[in-house]
Amino acid sequence: MVNKEHVLVDREIALLEHVRRSGKGFYITVSILTALVLWGIYAYLTQYQTGLGVTGLSRQIFWGVYITNFVFFIGISHAGTFISAVLRVVKAEWRRPISRLAELTTVFILFFGVGSVLIDLGRPDRMLYAIRYAHFRSPLLWDVCSIATYLTVSSICLYLALIPDIALMRDLGWKKRQWFYEILSLGFTGTEKQWHRLEKAITIMSIIVIPVMITVHTVVSYVFAMTIQPMWHSAIFGPYFVAGALFSGVAAVITIMAIIRKAYHLEDYLKPVHFYNLGTFLLAMTLLWVYFTLGEYVTTFYGNEPVHMEIFWSKLTGKFAPLFWLHVVLCFVIPFPILANPKTRTIKGTVIASISINIGMWLERFVIIVPTLTRQRISVEQALYIPTWVEWSIFLGCLSFFSLLYALFTKFFPIIPIWEMQEGREKAVSKVEERIRSYLPDDNG
Amino acid sequence: MYDGKKIIPGLIIFLGIVTYPIWHNTVSGKTGYVPKPKIPADKKECVEPKALIRVNHKDLLDDWKMSVVRSGIRTYQASNKKIYTMSLTRTCMNCHQDRKEFCDQCHNYMGVKNDCWDCHMYPKELKAEVK
Amino acid sequence: MELNRRGFLKIAGLTFLGLAAKPGWEVVSQIKPMESSPPPNYFSGKKWGMVIDLKKCWEAEEGSMESINACHRIHNVPSFQSIKEEIKWIWTIEYEKTFPEHIHDFNEDEYKGRSVIVLCNQCDDPPCTKYCPTRATWKREDGIVMMDFHRCIGCRYCMAGCPYGARSFNWRDPRPFIKKVNLEFPTRTKGVVEKCNFCEERLIQGLLPACVEACKDKALIFGDLNDPHSEIRKAFHGRHVLQRQPKLGTKPKVFYIV
Repeated sequence: MVNKEHVLVDREIALLEHVRRSGKGFYITVSILTALVLWGIYAYLTQYQTGLGVTGLSRQIFWGVYITNFVFFIGISHAGTFISAVLRVVKAEWRRPISRLAELTTVFILFFGVGSVLIDLGRPDRMLYAIRYAHFRSPLLWDVCSIATYLTVSSICLYLALIPDIALMRDLGWKKRQWFYEILSLGFTGTEKQWHRLEKAITIMSIIVIPVMITVHTVVSYVFAMTIQPMWHSAIFGPYFVAGALFSGVAAVITIMAIIRKAYHLEDYLKPVHFYNLGTFLLAMTLLWVYFTLGEYVTTFYGNEPVHMEIFWSKLTGKFAPLFWLHVVLCFVIPFPILANPKTRTIKGTVIASISINIGMWLERFVIIVPTLTRQRISVEQALYIPTWVEWSIFLGCLSFFSLLYALFTKFFPIIPIWEMQEGREKAVSKVEERIRSYLPDDNG
Repeated sequence: MYDGKKIIPGLIIFLGIVTYPIWHNTVSGKTGYVPKPKIPADKKECVEPKALIRVNHKDLLDDWKMSVVRSGIRTYQASNKKIYTMSLTRTCMNCHQDRKEFCDQCHNYMGVKNDCWDCHMYPKELKAEVK
Repeated sequence: MELNRRGFLKIAGLTFLGLAAKPGWEVVSQIKPMESSPPPNYFSGKKWGMVIDLKKCWEAEEGSMESINACHRIHNVPSFQSIKEEIKWIWTIEYEKTFPEHIHDFNEDEYKGRSVIVLCNQCDDPPCTKYCPTRATWKREDGIVMMDFHRCIGCRYCMAGCPYGARSFNWRDPRPFIKKVNLEFPTRTKGVVEKCNFCEERLIQGLLPACVEACKDKALIFGDLNDPHSEIRKAFHGRHVLQRQPKLGTKPKVFYIV
């Protein structure tokens, strides 16, 4: 058995370790995550039983943690597409080990993005009415279409890039799982023709998923931007949210990368250079985020319209000031110096920046959604929103469930694409050399 | 049969469990049960003839719901040419008074669920509440 | 498993036929007509509107509880102790908050802090109906912005669209909180949005909305805006008419005369 593996997998033998073996740490992690998921389910059941009144939501502030989660999770999903599809299209070779873990983040987190909206519904038993009685003038329906398309296309991208590794797993001959890999491998045997078809399919899907990704978060932003509420009705929301999505998504992937690297001892594959490069991208995104945020707030301030300014001041100096300034610190003040200096753009540095960005971006969504609702163009009695244990438990449950699914995936498939690493070792070096040569003036004899 | 001593008893037990719904009712004498919805004594006819309404009352009420809520039309001309108001509470329950004695009798027996009563009320319910 | 394209198409075709059998049969055996459409001239080109005469209202100094209670009573609107979960179809707020764009440094003292009765404005270009993903709320031909409680999925997007905060949500089962149930009107379940419906169930019987009827000082005037001889149109003559947030373009059909 070992010989066969060595033959097929060769130098990439380390990548099968986490699939083959599960240590004590894995079982403890899974147990904790399962407990948290069950707690989250219990919290949701109390909500289903009693109604949304168990949350901190009110007649005045009727969208809160769940909708924040929705935007946040959908935002995170953009990273997978960026790392897997965009970097593939621009032929960045360093994406090889991280493309699958990024794509997996996308596919799995989309379920929780959609799930968060369904959790927020007053009558979830009627959720299919949105399809049966679809009213396409509603931005929520655009969301349904866009996210459904994105989920489909991303899943296909993930699956296609998984096929050669599934075929490999099948050929390893692990008795218990043979049937599973055999079905999923779709008869892939690694012939010239099959490889050619697969590469073509992956390329096409990678190109398709990029515009879909852009529409997804644009359309999510339109849920807010298409209303006439102060500080929501802004044309900048489209690009603002897409940039924010890429920003928070890549930060999330960096965090996941670091955890997998440590947990599965993949230090040889997930090298400092990967964190460095993603960190560079994150640096660009933090600046882009500041650019958009400044644009949004400075134009509001300069216009000085009373209805908008009331929300503006509640964010900057009023009720929401602590959250607002905290999120500015977390999204810019902490990450920027860490990422700007190449010496601190290490694994540790980028992970600290990423965690800071993740928390900061969740707060950013919260600070966009909730303050506008306090005014609703009529000043009402002190509107206060304090999320209850139900909302936090469900949020934690979603994160845990995502982590659980992710961990379970790694027990069936290698998280680092073996075929892409092999391709990198065998073919990529000469291909890149050829490419560089083509940029230079031609040698004449 | 290889392992016959284990298989045959196992099969018998399995068949016994699987056919439980069939023989349990016979054994406990419930096969003869017929649901008895209480028919209002003083009313002679329903909105539609008995045979029709027994089968179609769900569709009728669905049509009424669509008509009243989405089209704003509240008057219904029945096949007996009479005009009725399309209302579960004010027309149907006006005669049938109590859902527990009428609607639920058959619905519970058949295991048919409806959620009309989450919102719509019936006269006996109000009297019960007042008490 | 060897499967060529032809084999795949055969299996796919059979699967499709199998899945289509039941729905297809249901469509074919359907002999009942589809959703009924209103007879011609049913709504007779009506456009319902309301005028609130603030002068009459403030002169009487009664307060608006009679109107509010009438509405909430006949529509089984629950009353909660907490502001958090309150449901209100009609209520009062101060003048400054009703007409924020009319506030300046030199407003008359007599307007300051006066309470104004507010309700769903039944806008002609409603900003709420656009956002409903299931069309559970829509504008009827006679101008009333309707709610279909059977279809609402409780996403509260319409609440986000309304700039007047006219809509309420059922955060829990309302039945235990209804003081006295009115059999003539259904209650709602938890998880749906509700708002003033201009008493459309009373209009069809030729009655006035409950709030209009209950106001002893006749400060609420209701009628057909399309009828130039109606009481409501006459009420506009010679008075200064306000709407709430007119520049939003929602074209509210509740007018205030001062």
